[in-house]
Amino acid sequence: MSGAFRGAGRVFDLSLGQLLWSRRTIFMALVLAVPVIIALVERLLTVGGITAMRVNDVRVGGATIFGLIIWLCLRVVVPILGVFYGTALIADEVDDKTITYLFTRPVRRAAVLLGKYLAYLVCTGLVVLPAIVIVYFLAVPFREVPGTFGALAIDVGLLALGLAAYGAVFALVGAVMPRPAVVGLVFAFGWEQAAMLMPGYLSRLTIAYYLQALVPHAIPSQEGVAALLQALIGEVPSPVTCVAALLITTTLALALGCRVVERREYVLEQ
Amino acid sequence: MTKRTRLFLGVACGILVAGLGTGLVAAYVGGFQNLVVIGSNGPDELAYVPQDAQMVAYANIREIMSSDLRQRLRELQPASPEAPRRFQDETGINVETDIDYVLAAAGGAGNDSNQDRPLMLARGRFDTVRIEGLLRERGGAIEEYRGKRVLTQPGAQFSVAFVEPDLAAVGNLAAVKRAIDTKAGAVADVTGNADVMRLVRDADNGSAWAVARFDTISTRLTGGLPPQLPPIEWFVVSSHVDGGIRGTMYAETRDEASAQNLQDVLRGMMALARLQAGQQADLSAFVDSLELSGQGKTVTLGFSVPAEMIDKLAAKRLARPGAPSEPLPPAQQPAPSTPAF
Repeated sequence: MSGAFRGAGRVFDLSLGQLLWSRRTIFMALVLAVPVIIALVERLLTVGGITAMRVNDVRVGGATIFGLIIWLCLRVVVPILGVFYGTALIADEVDDKTITYLFTRPVRRAAVLLGKYLAYLVCTGLVVLPAIVIVYFLAVPFREVPGTFGALAIDVGLLALGLAAYGAVFALVGAVMPRPAVVGLVFAFGWEQAAMLMPGYLSRLTIAYYLQALVPHAIPSQEGVAALLQALIGEVPSPVTCVAALLITTTLALALGCRVVERREYVLEQ
Repeated sequence: MTKRTRLFLGVACGILVAGLGTGLVAAYVGGFQNLVVIGSNGPDELAYVPQDAQMVAYANIREIMSSDLRQRLRELQPASPEAPRRFQDETGINVETDIDYVLAAAGGAGNDSNQDRPLMLARGRFDTVRIEGLLRERGGAIEEYRGKRVLTQPGAQFSVAFVEPDLAAVGNLAAVKRAIDTKAGAVADVTGNADVMRLVRDADNGSAWAVARFDTISTRLTGGLPPQLPPIEWFVVSSHVDGGIRGTMYAETRDEASAQNLQDVLRGMMALARLQAGQQADLSAFVDSLELSGQGKTVTLGFSVPAEMIDKLAAKRLARPGAPSEPLPPAQQPAPSTPAF
């Protein structure tokens, strides 16, 4: 077992630089630059005495804007990063026909997935989380920091948990399926969105269900049929249930992914 | 791992640690204040306020009187403001110069109406000997109560006790005596009232603030309140006075549904105000400043009356026929007059 972790460490060391300086990370940085710019503009306008944002004719403060950005990150950014990075962990090596080189190293196959997954976590975590901290300090007036820091800490933890859960699930998808990015996008933006609106227990088969229940910010002003449906059938699980469900999902998906990688015969197209 | 990867990791970790560390320290200090270890637990004068107080209000008179806003308001007043002079005649206290801050409190609408009477505690500089002498001249009574001299107007409608050399307790005789009892420990003080103190700690950061159980306000309001208004339990207002006024009103409702209803009501009122502001440009800055938010059982409404708006109102007032042609110069304060107890 210790040999597997040592092997995972080596793969992590190798993969971190590759992930960090890839085109995906440039894309991620561009996506995350948007909330930073929004927060910066809001701060500049506020300093200039101009109301930056209004919803239903009501002035929206910095803390509310930060809450909206967190919602956007959890609903859109984190699943997208999970799909693009998670599915690529194994699939990219297969597509590039370089998986043979990894599998011929004296490390267990599972260690390859584990090491790459850890590299994904560090890479995305150290880009997303500092960006969110910067957004927080730009959007929220410093006098409100003592009262809202708890929410920031929860947000940072939630984003890390979301990245871990989505990454593990999509790493499994990448290890099992051909064209995993398409499957991942359908899961994240098709299945999850639809299941959240359906009555019954289907929503429990999504990651978003558990992540949303942990968000400390109020849900952004809801209108329309989707909001009505969510309000009617909505049910909020306890924080302990949510954290446990997310950790179990992450562990289970990773374990299954490792098992698949250990056993599967990857046939490289000629 | 390449050098640039290590550099990136170092910078990213640095931002994360610095941001979370700063927030943690700020929250720690804020939390300490809330836990009353080193920070504010409200004014010291709360030790004179009985535990059953349903309304506590504070005003930093010195800060308000020396503010730009006060100077602007002076320009709106006629040459010789009558109310402050009358107060000075009756009490011997010049509000503008003698008082630093005031704390007022009132009980609920209980059975004992004497205990429900408001009490005012004023911290400042008082010529106690002069005030006592004046009171005697007017036939007032002086009695000792728990080692404090309580001065009572003829008819016992109004009493003053200098409970500390620079602290006056003002109210009816029962309220003043109860304040003295409370300080002596015979009656529990309001710092033991968790509901009031929780809100006082939140509010105690402005030039003026008030915390009140809403039913105590609503019963005192003439005409009452609309029955459609959702049930509000506590009401807090806190404001900073400088060139203008910035403040926050905070209502705590019975449950989350009531808070949502209250938000809806306020949103409607704000929409109406916005319509009115369309016809009166002077009000638009105030209406624009309104910021409504809510969480759980609480609804918060932020507002700001900017200095420019007060200037415009002042200019309008001065332009009216019959208004003072020139503003009252700051040096032309009302001359100290003989107190008339």
